[in-house]
Amino acid sequence: MHSIVYDEIHDEFVVPQQFGQAILTFRGGANGEEVPVRVVQGSLTQLRNPDRLALDPVHNEIFVPQGNSVLVFSREAKGNVAPIRVIKGPDTLLGASALAVDPVHDLLVVGGRARGLGTRLLIFNRTDEGNAKPKAIIGGPKSGLAHISGPFTVYPAKNEIIVSVRGSSSESNEMSSDECFVGVWSTQDNGDVPPRWTIGGPKGVLRMVRGVDLDPKNKSVIVTDKRLNAVLTFYFPEMF
Amino acid sequence: MSGNDRPRRIYFVALLTLVAVLAGWALVAGNFKLTEPFTAVFSLFRKPVGSAQLVSYDPLPAGAMDDECNGPLVDVSSALAAEPMQEADVSAKKPVRMIRDRYASYSSVAVDPTNDEVVLTDENLFNILAYNRLDNTPSTRVTEPKRSIGGLKTKIEFQSGVYVDPKNGDIYAVNNDTVDTLVIFSREATGDVRPEREVHTPHGTFAIAVDEDHQELLLTVQHDSAVVTFQKTAKSEDAPIRLLQGEHTLLADPHGIALDTKNDLIFVTNHGSVHQFRPGAVAASGRIRESDLRKSNWPLGFSNAIPGSGKNLLPSVTIYARSASGDTAPLHVIQGPKTQMNWPTGIAFDPTSNELFVANDMGDSILVFSASANGDVAPIRVIKGPQTLIKNPTGVYVDSKNDELWIANFGNHTATAYKLSAAGNTPPLRIIRSAPADQPTLSIGNPHPVAYDTKREELLVPN
Repeated sequence: MHSIVYDEIHDEFVVPQQFGQAILTFRGGANGEEVPVRVVQGSLTQLRNPDRLALDPVHNEIFVPQGNSVLVFSREAKGNVAPIRVIKGPDTLLGASALAVDPVHDLLVVGGRARGLGTRLLIFNRTDEGNAKPKAIIGGPKSGLAHISGPFTVYPAKNEIIVSVRGSSSESNEMSSDECFVGVWSTQDNGDVPPRWTIGGPKGVLRMVRGVDLDPKNKSVIVTDKRLNAVLTFYFPEMF
Repeated sequence: MSGNDRPRRIYFVALLTLVAVLAGWALVAGNFKLTEPFTAVFSLFRKPVGSAQLVSYDPLPAGAMDDECNGPLVDVSSALAAEPMQEADVSAKKPVRMIRDRYASYSSVAVDPTNDEVVLTDENLFNILAYNRLDNTPSTRVTEPKRSIGGLKTKIEFQSGVYVDPKNGDIYAVNNDTVDTLVIFSREATGDVRPEREVHTPHGTFAIAVDEDHQELLLTVQHDSAVVTFQKTAKSEDAPIRLLQGEHTLLADPHGIALDTKNDLIFVTNHGSVHQFRPGAVAASGRIRESDLRKSNWPLGFSNAIPGSGKNLLPSVTIYARSASGDTAPLHVIQGPKTQMNWPTGIAFDPTSNELFVANDMGDSILVFSASANGDVAPIRVIKGPQTLIKNPTGVYVDSKNDELWIANFGNHTATAYKLSAAGNTPPLRIIRSAPADQPTLSIGNPHPVAYDTKREELLVPN
């Protein structure tokens, strides 16, 4: 499973189920072998490989990246339902593998690699649909965005995007690289912009960082690391 | 000096004064930690500069691990020692907490009856471990392996399946999800060594079975709901010689695989989630490497998936003819509520009794079926209960020579042996332990996302 988001407002968490092409929503306190409270699955959904997702609990929407498109569902959708919006088309420049929503500033940040264009963060308006152009693009050699390593998140209070990034690609680096890092960009960035803050590489603690989430109350960044097979918490007051 | 510079100079003098006072205090106090007051002072003057700057750095508090998981203090030194602290760079921050199991989590098992060894894969610390088959370790102790293979050169990570060649003791280990390589080591291999042979595989292989009579090896492919067959001697970029994949196969998130070589049958366990592929499609890029697209018998991947075709079937064991290929229906299927299957993972076949042993991960049980069973049938017997020590079993092996059944318990740091005829709440004959029994098992295996539950102040970590 490559994504999980907790919905603080409705006390639920949402996960994608890639093999069954489904989106599952559980109650926040789910424990043991519990049935999801909602399942989105079926021929109308257009779900092909729901690997990651993002949640906007304020506007009640679920976003699913799917390569050259982004599918948007109602948070309360269940059963065999169509997306309420789809972002797709040549102007979108999408190569969507992960995304995050800033419901405060009405932004959608989509990360991924489009053929021939490298890895970038594309910033859209939250309500964009169809063949929409991104309003900003972060990427390039100075950005260090070699390969987005997992699901990422945003911190709207400071306009921040927090992304896990793999080290440069080589056979051994596919397994472990002390170049990998967590980088913090701004939703107001545009172009080949280096991260404002980083945790990890080069020569860092992390080996193959994957997921990232925030604990604003304790000013902490929480990350998973595949090679360490561990969950690490960093105290990071400067970004909060 | 301009009027604008005056406040800055006042700040600077104040800073120097404060630093001098603190330095004097530190000299008097002796054991005083300088970093905290200095950090606090510097933070008063810090402004965003668009690049990393020192704000604070945090020592790993002793016992922090206990707060997080009520488990053992995790040794992070190996991960951190090689990284000199870059005190002037925020990027060098150390974690204040790390949740990590420091003991092996066994995921698959095989026996080398010739050399009386049990070979286990460890999906936590990424090793292949060989133990004396007759080891029996008390609950307060840890079993010492005879050999361990692990390290970046080995390409061992989440090895979910293992096979030991009965003739020469070669070890075949299957990776699930992170390194698309089947690695093969000689019996003598130890430490961080390169595999003697590698085979590039489709992404998401899970288990292996080898047909020595026909010199073929079969791998389940979880992500693409497929079974691929290679020549046993395959190496490097060799293509599979057969592919079993498609809607009629009823393969659905396949995991374990076993063979009945006498009757030419393949047995596959399926968790149940599946989607369909466009009929007649040719493998398309996406997760599949361009070079693999030119190979015969390479399974179709997500790029060929039919959107919205996903479904969740009941877990099953599907049975095929050994040479089945393409979109071929199973000969028979064991499936239904009476079977008790709940994430059936490893599977082993006993040719003497014609029985199938299924490692029932979420049921904390071993289910035994007749290999001829069909439909919604109850197991012939079940090994389950607190005396058995079976917890999240993912690997199972039939040792016909010694009339024993071996289980890899991912959920409690043990591998356990039983008589093949064991049933019910039967204690194991012997136990291999990677940790004392009182150590909690974190069950972290390939953590990818993480979410923070702000209401309960809990971390949600799918694997």
